[in-house]
Amino acid sequence: MHKQTHNVIKIISRSSGTFELVLERNSLEFIPGQCVNIGIPNTGINREYSTYSAKDDSELRFLIREVPDGQLTPKLRNLKPGDQVEIDGAYGLFTLEQPEDTQRRYMFIGTGTGIAPFHSFVKSYPKLNYKLLHGIRTLDEAYDRSDYNEYICCTSQMNDGDFSGRVTDYLSNQEIDPGVIYYLCGNRNMINDVYDLLRENQVSGSNIITETFF
Amino acid sequence: MKVAISYPPIVNDQGQKAMVSQNRNVQFFKTPTYLLPVTYAQAATWLRDLGHTVYWDDGNAQLKSYSQWKVDLIEFSPDVVIFESTTPVMNFYWRTIDEIRKEIPHAIIVMTGYHSMRKPEETFYKCDVDIVLMSNHVDFALSRLIPYLERNPSWREECLIEGLVIRKTDGSLLNTGRFRQVEPLDNSPLVDRDLVSWQNYAYENGNFLQTPGTYATSVIRDCMFGKCTFCRYNGPELTFSMMSVEKSLDEYERLINEYGVKEIFDDSGVWYRGKEARQFAEGIIRRGLHKKGCYFGFNTRFSYLDEDTIKLLAKANFRFILIGLESADDETLARLDKGYQIQHVETCLRWMKKYGLHPHLTIMVGYYWQTREQLLSTVKFVKSLMFRGLARTLQVTICTPLDYTPYHQECLREKVLLTDNYDDHDMSKIIVKTPIAHDEYYQAIRQLYGIAFHPRFILRQVLFLFTFRKRDWQFLFSYGWRAIRRVKNHMFNLTRHEGKLLPTKETA
Repeated sequence: MHKQTHNVIKIISRSSGTFELVLERNSLEFIPGQCVNIGIPNTGINREYSTYSAKDDSELRFLIREVPDGQLTPKLRNLKPGDQVEIDGAYGLFTLEQPEDTQRRYMFIGTGTGIAPFHSFVKSYPKLNYKLLHGIRTLDEAYDRSDYNEYICCTSQMNDGDFSGRVTDYLSNQEIDPGVIYYLCGNRNMINDVYDLLRENQVSGSNIITETFF
Repeated sequence: MKVAISYPPIVNDQGQKAMVSQNRNVQFFKTPTYLLPVTYAQAATWLRDLGHTVYWDDGNAQLKSYSQWKVDLIEFSPDVVIFESTTPVMNFYWRTIDEIRKEIPHAIIVMTGYHSMRKPEETFYKCDVDIVLMSNHVDFALSRLIPYLERNPSWREECLIEGLVIRKTDGSLLNTGRFRQVEPLDNSPLVDRDLVSWQNYAYENGNFLQTPGTYATSVIRDCMFGKCTFCRYNGPELTFSMMSVEKSLDEYERLINEYGVKEIFDDSGVWYRGKEARQFAEGIIRRGLHKKGCYFGFNTRFSYLDEDTIKLLAKANFRFILIGLESADDETLARLDKGYQIQHVETCLRWMKKYGLHPHLTIMVGYYWQTREQLLSTVKFVKSLMFRGLARTLQVTICTPLDYTPYHQECLREKVLLTDNYDDHDMSKIIVKTPIAHDEYYQAIRQLYGIAFHPRFILRQVLFLFTFRKRDWQFLFSYGWRAIRRVKNHMFNLTRHEGKLLPTKETA
């Protein structure tokens, strides 16, 4: 397992509450979907974040939601190029079993920054057969939508997305395909609701893989 | 239906009782700790609320002999019996299930627990079980399963509830697929303390600074981190679920005001962190529960709590904080996927000391890669922490591969396991090939527990205990006596194989 400090290359503001942390890659190896622990040296605090970048990218990228009264994310957002962060990892099993198998069909469903592991999936495995459903509040949270072949954003606070409403509202109006493998990542309430909906539509529990962010 | 949630008493040839309950590695002790299996207690409460007749059958905590336990269970004549499995007691459970099958042939026997959920077919092969639960969310799983069994006579052929393996009428197995990983925890009821006879668990527990104590209904199911390779809360089937802060606060208020508890420990793998931890502490203070003479405690990880949160927790009367140190070398922490480095340990402990918390360290020895240098550095580091008052108490265990965790699978893959008898996984001895003699690890355990008898440590401990709100001599005496008795108990149990060789199987 890798553990060392990484230099900050830049911080990119992605929306009012979200930013992208770009770090030097150094020698960190990870499987798309895995997370690492990120901390600021000598603060004694770290948190887990899924990698947003692809497995062969030269830089490490993380999509991070700022917690207004949080102990870490405001500090991360204020980092400057050349500052350092500590990274432990990578680890985790929210990964694709056979990403090279183009016969497998996936539906990735994420809320907010829960889209991060899916971005890493699609950038790492360009031949993936997938559809991505992204639950956001407003369209400015549709991060890097041009990176996806099939992307549908569901906006809950404005009518500016591909669908107005939550991801569960969208799914309720669609035909659910039990032959697809569903990956859910993000808010646990969304995961609970989507899980129920998928099961009601004859999707096997074995084809629903979940990762809770908060 | 009549449902028994059963923990048969298990006594080994030393006359020691096994402590079996959720996420507890089974250990045999002459003077056992009685831990409330919280998720099973929630299951019992939920089933009772659904109108079923529930028999809370913890033969260990009820101080029954095995034969008395069996007589009582037969007399209850359950329609369903639920057991909880873990590696070192699998042989015992397989025998017990076959005995119960003969005595209560109509009963549906359900095996749950981390061992059988990862190797369900093995349990069907070894005993006459009917259903193996692949979900560790037993409360949710049973609240769906039991009503279904009641309504559907042909459940063996038709059940589609996820997370089960069922023996069909023709003997073949029906696997209903992966279980639900995230559950809305607020939907599971708080534990009915009377139903599970909470007093049976209120006194004999090393995690209680004062008694009567109790375990809270856990606020986190599985683990927010969930990556440590040796831990049961790690696997492709697991993520985590969280209970709301207000619901947990309601329970604390009730436990203090109606049951008069003096200590509440939340045994979630890792308790709240960040915003939720602060909200909880603020809620305790807002409700005035910090002035009721009750201490609070939980499990956490290094690098999860910041100084402001620790300060707030201390103000809210939190004291006993259990933290897995595991080892003092970065290579081991990295191999265990602990997610932090040893340099971060002291920072966190200094904050805890500053605000008067009581950090309890858990340490493991006997990793299959652990060198003499790594072992000695751990002993030296822990001694330093204890003598400086940065940690207050400790618990040392032998790192034992269990329940097909990633560490267990790694030991199998690396061919370092010295036994294929599950009984040997009882944490009383080292069962992996190691780079140095096993006796060196046992000696390290002796040294670590020996810290408790060092005058420097005793002086620090007494001074620390005087900082507590409760300063009477009876408290100091009873706490000190219980602590010493537990240290002696652990030291005997973990070093009794010193100088003995484990009968080994051939490993390549």
